Amino acid sequence: MDHHSTRSGPILAFDTSGPWLSAALVEKGVVRLARHEEMARGQAERLFVLLEEMLREAGRAWGELAALGVGIGPGNFTGIRIAVAAARGLSLALGIPAHGVSRFEALAESAPRPALLALDARRERLWLARLGADGPEEPVLVPLAEIERHPVLEGLPATAPVIGERAGEIAARIDRPARAPALTLGTAIARIAARRDPAGATPPAPLYLRPADAAPPSEPPVPILDA
Amino acid sequence: MRRETKAPAELIVLGIESSCDETAAGVVRVRPADGPRGEILANVVASQTELHAPFGGVVPEIAARAHAERLEPVTREALNVAGIALEEVDLIAVTAGPGLIGGVLSGVMFAKGLVAATGKPLVGVNHLAGHALTVRLASPTPFPYLLLLVSGGHCQFLAVRGPRDFLRLGGTIDDAPGEAFDKVARLVGLPQPGGPHVERVARRGDAARFAFPRPLLDRDDAHLSFSGLKTAVLRARDRLLAEQGGLTRQDQADLAASFQAAVRDVLAEKSRRALALFEERLGRRPSRFAVAGGVAANESLRAALEEVAARAQIPFDAPPLPLCTDNGAMIAWAGAEWYLDGRQDDPTLAARPRWPLDETSPALLGAGRKGAKA
Repeated sequence: MDHHSTRSGPILAFDTSGPWLSAALVEKGVVRLARHEEMARGQAERLFVLLEEMLREAGRAWGELAALGVGIGPGNFTGIRIAVAAARGLSLALGIPAHGVSRFEALAESAPRPALLALDARRERLWLARLGADGPEEPVLVPLAEIERHPVLEGLPATAPVIGERAGEIAARIDRPARAPALTLGTAIARIAARRDPAGATPPAPLYLRPADAAPPSEPPVPILDA
Repeated sequence: MRRETKAPAELIVLGIESSCDETAAGVVRVRPADGPRGEILANVVASQTELHAPFGGVVPEIAARAHAERLEPVTREALNVAGIALEEVDLIAVTAGPGLIGGVLSGVMFAKGLVAATGKPLVGVNHLAGHALTVRLASPTPFPYLLLLVSGGHCQFLAVRGPRDFLRLGGTIDDAPGEAFDKVARLVGLPQPGGPHVERVARRGDAARFAFPRPLLDRDDAHLSFSGLKTAVLRARDRLLAEQGGLTRQDQADLAASFQAAVRDVLAEKSRRALALFEERLGRRPSRFAVAGGVAANESLRAALEEVAARAQIPFDAPPLPLCTDNGAMIAWAGAEWYLDGRQDDPTLAARPRWPLDETSPALLGAGRKGAKA
């Protein structure tokens, strides 16, 4: 966004990139409220009800927020769009920045470094990202069965933990410890958003990591004899 | 949700549409006292035609991705064009179905974000009601009227009795004509979207060269079918390919013209029957025979429908083309009509991929476990 005012005030973050609704309110660097509801469906209907409950409980109004944080995935495509579209509507109407935060960045928040971050990419594959001193590296798509031999492990110390989805399984295969994320997704996103530069915020966009599933028509083109 | 309402002197309405392959936002000023009347202040449409063209049809995931990122800039532009600040908007209307769920959901969430932040009232509009009520935005049209909604995804005859009171008199039992135009364009080697290209080459074609079927004319009702017609065009084309190894430009034109003539004859004859059904079911004549939807842009079809209306001595109406295809102004207008009729939604508003306008008539297609599509 071009001319967001830099206000001090609470930061509200939310994520619907999987079968959950995760949200948090951070103020002056302190987590005021955090909610994490497991839900397979219905996030679109529940999201604003939950956010308004949280604002009420914190005694805050929409207009007092300084910024938003939103989970951009990777994850469920529809789920990511639910949160991103909501955040962009709020951002436009409130005139405050919405910071997109990836799940890798969220997993890295308060994680020991180095570490290996993991997200389930379905069909027995994983997105793996090394977490180094400068933050998460580019994620790579790795079949679970090939994980032991994958270059992403090169030079990863034996003490570096695996953090994220299917962490226990991966850790057992590569002989490293597994560790649960220290924060809920909503809390991690809110804390990251609170540190972002409001002037440098670009509108949040979903992080798909995969192109849309689409194939050109299989029929051969019709020959035009006198074209 | 129902709401008691006292009509305000003027409503500024923002309408948001993202149910198929157009991301659109419109701003309409509505004066409830005069009938009501509407004035379009902005109508911004970001078409995705080019994104889908290589795939020969709308790809839902590509559409959903584009909507999620375009809704905000398109809305911003509509407000700019209208010279209206969001605070000055009195009502936010959004398409809540039927349509491709990814796009509808993005639109609904975006609108709910605007509504949460501003405290403005929200109305989730049925996309088909948007098309059906746009006739009244373009020119004052009293209820009840007969509407033929004919587009890429829909084809139905509706008796429009009120802002939220629709009686379906007939409709397609398989494909929509817009879909058939796209398919025929692919079959004869014309670009997408098929409608304008088929119409263009049909002008120099011989409509009598191929005797394509006029499906369902043996039935006395106002139902339509276009699937068999597509197959007939495919067979005729395949015969030519087998005989000649390709099509000449004249073959293309003749196939297009013969196909378009079949669609025209079916729509015209079924319109006559729908007019008769209207009188039979409502006990009176419609104030208008109106046509809406992208296929209404086809001049040959439009002329045939106009003639049906003239013969029945009923005024004919077709909104201008930018209001016939998907747009935000029609959603703003329908939202205003629903709001003035007492409708308002809360933040639990859900996106509905299936949402028939007339929920009482039996479903014509897609009547599975989840109910009728449209």
